[in-house]
Parts: sequence; structure tokens; C-alpha cells
Amino acid sequence: MAVSIKTGRGDYLLKTGAPDQRDAKAILLTLVLERCDGIERVAFRCRVAAGLVDPTTDSEAIMSRLAPWLEREFEMTRESALKTIRSEHRMLEISFDACNRGPF
Amino acid sequence: MSLQLIRPDINLDFVGKRHFFVILSTAINLAAILLLIFKGLNYGVDFIGGSVVQVQFTNATNADAIRRSLAPLDLGEITVQDFGSAGHSYLLRFEKVKNIGGLGPTLEAELAKSFGAGGARVVRVESVGAKVGSDLRRKGFLAVVAATIFMGIFIAIQFRHVSWSFGTGAVIALVHDVLVVTGALVIAQLQFDLTTLAALLTVIGYSVHDTIIVSDRIREDAAKRRREPIASIMNRAINETLSRTILTSGTAIMVLIALLAFGGPILRPSAFTLLVGFITGTYSSVYIAGPVVLFWEGRGKGGGSPSARAA
Repeated sequence: MAVSIKTGRGDYLLKTGAPDQRDAKAILLTLVLERCDGIERVAFRCRVAAGLVDPTTDSEAIMSRLAPWLEREFEMTRESALKTIRSEHRMLEISFDACNRGPF
Repeated sequence: MSLQLIRPDINLDFVGKRHFFVILSTAINLAAILLLIFKGLNYGVDFIGGSVVQVQFTNATNADAIRRSLAPLDLGEITVQDFGSAGHSYLLRFEKVKNIGGLGPTLEAELAKSFGAGGARVVRVESVGAKVGSDLRRKGFLAVVAATIFMGIFIAIQFRHVSWSFGTGAVIALVHDVLVVTGALVIAQLQFDLTTLAALLTVIGYSVHDTIIVSDRIREDAAKRRREPIASIMNRAINETLSRTILTSGTAIMVLIALLAFGGPILRPSAFTLLVGFITGTYSSVYIAGPVVLFWEGRGKGGGSPSARAA
């Protein structure tokens, strides 16, 4: 499953990078932003607090809601994700909760 | 009580020792040129093209296992580098990939055969085409040359009332600094990428800044002491600015040592470039820029007075 997003750097695909992890508090998605021609790929994590989405919502629906937000916040998200992987050797984790609802 | 590192009346003979240091610098520069020709810089993917792929493994593995796993893909030369997570994270560099676009999914599928589904995750792919890489290399070289020439012209115009040769001195000092830094990068085999190039341009800016401080004091002293030989004026100016030179360079160098020690592998090439560049930039302001002016003026033995004086 992939959602297409248009950015200043060209068309990207938002894909799942690993199976999602769910518990009572949140849904944790591992996502991948990959340029359509495949020359760039960056993975990051997205934690959505349980109160923001129905716990049974599938990852495809969450990605569809994330896509327009990611189009707006693309540069910052891409740069942060790349820097976190390069410097800290871990994936960036973006958390959406009651204080920071993002697209939810 | 104030801390005084350099006495105000210090009078070291910098100009008198210039011949030794010019010979030393020339030898170092020649060695750097030979290193650049015969060994070459360790160019990053920005300049040679290819792809950098960062892979995270669920279980610790090693470079040989990764190479064996990817051998069926026939992707050419692969550099596998442990990325500091106890065998869980590796950086793969591919220089000549035929299908540069599909690299991420292709690698993930191939690695899954050896490490299991989800055992290896491609978390970053950054690719630069060979042509873009060579364009960047050419433009990077031009940026360094243009920065050096324009700074030389600017300084020549600024100090024309004392001598037009200040511009030449600054340019030769900058070329010296660039050669020393690139030579050090060749020896250390640290990666030369766009960040390192930015650091090299910063070194040029810093070095010329230090040269201007000394040259400006020469200009002031030349206006005050019209009958004094320029060699003597130059030595006095270097001594007068020595405290400032050591304090500003020293504090910057301390920060860079900290950055080099604790900044991690990503910042290491640029921190190293800046550290070597700041040290050599300080040295060249004293021992390279000045002697060039003296040589140009034809008063290498310290006799005579400058051909023109500051207004």
C-alpha cells in the first residue's frame, strides 16, 4: 500500500516500512518516504495516540490522513528523518497526541 | 588580576625566520600535491555519484555476511561500513549501480532471503548520478578557486596604498592553506563531501580574516613609521597582533577539538578540515602572506622602505 504525495522535490510515495504496532495507548507506524524514481528513501516512525483515531483504524486509512499533512510539512520531516538516521542511527519518531494533533 | 598570555612588549623575530618556514611550507605543499595526484581524496557519493544505503538489522551481523547476501545482485563494488550500532546498523556504498532507482526495494528483498522477512530494513537511500557527481566536483573546485581569487583582488585593492602585493600574499597563503588541508584529508582518508567542501570554504574565509588583521596593522604602522624598513614594520605588526591571533585561533581550535572528539562520525570530516585549516590559516598569516610581500617588494633582507605608504 502506498500513498502518493507531491512535494517541491518531486513526487514521493508514502509506504509502510514494517508491520504496525498497536497497544492500548497508541498505534506506532513505521513509514517510508520514497521518491517515485527510487533515488531517495527515508524511514521514520509515527506514533498516533489512541484518543485521536479509532483503535481499529487500519494503517492505510491513517496514511491517507497523514499524506496531506506530510505534503505541507515535507521539508522539515524529510530533513529531520535523514538527520536522525545519519547522526543518531535511529528512526525519527513523530508523535501525535492531544497537544499535537497534526492531521488527526 | 588579569590573565596575560602574551606580554604587550613581546618582540619575536618572525620575519627573520621566514626563509626556513617558506622552505618548510613549500615542501609540505609539494607533498600535498603529490598525495592529491597519486593517492587522491576519498570523495563521497556527492562527488563520485552512486548510492549510500543505510540498513538496520534486527539481529547483529557483519560486513562479510552482508556482502555474501548481496553477491547474487551483481551490483559491483560495495563498501560496507559498520555504522556504530554494535552490528545492527550498516552503511553500504555503491559506486556503479545499473538500476539506481530500484535500489531500496531490491536490496530489501535480497537481504530478506538471508536475514529473514523484516530482518533487514533499508531506512535511508541517497543517490547521486555520476554526471551530477562530476558536475558537483567541478563546481566545488571552481567555488574554491573563485573564492581565493576574489579575496586576493579585494585585499589587493584594500591595501594598494601600502603595496599591491598584499593581494598576492593573501592568495598564496590561501592556496597554501587549501593544499595543506586537502593533503591532510588525503592522509586521513576522511570522506570529502559537500559538507567538507563547505568547511574548506570556511577555512578560506577564516584564513583571509586572520591575514587581514596582520595586514591592517602593517598598513597602520607603515603610515606612522615612514622611514622604517617594511620588514621591521611587518615584524612589529605581527608581534602587536600576536595576542589577538593566539586568543581567537586558540578558542576556535578548542571548540573544533571538542567537535572532533564528540561530534560523531558524520561531523568528523568537516571538524577535521576546520581544525587543520584554522591552524594552518593562522600560521600562513604570519609566515606566508608577509614573506610574499617582502619578496615582491624586493626588500627580502629587511632594507629600504615601502614603495608606497598608507595615506
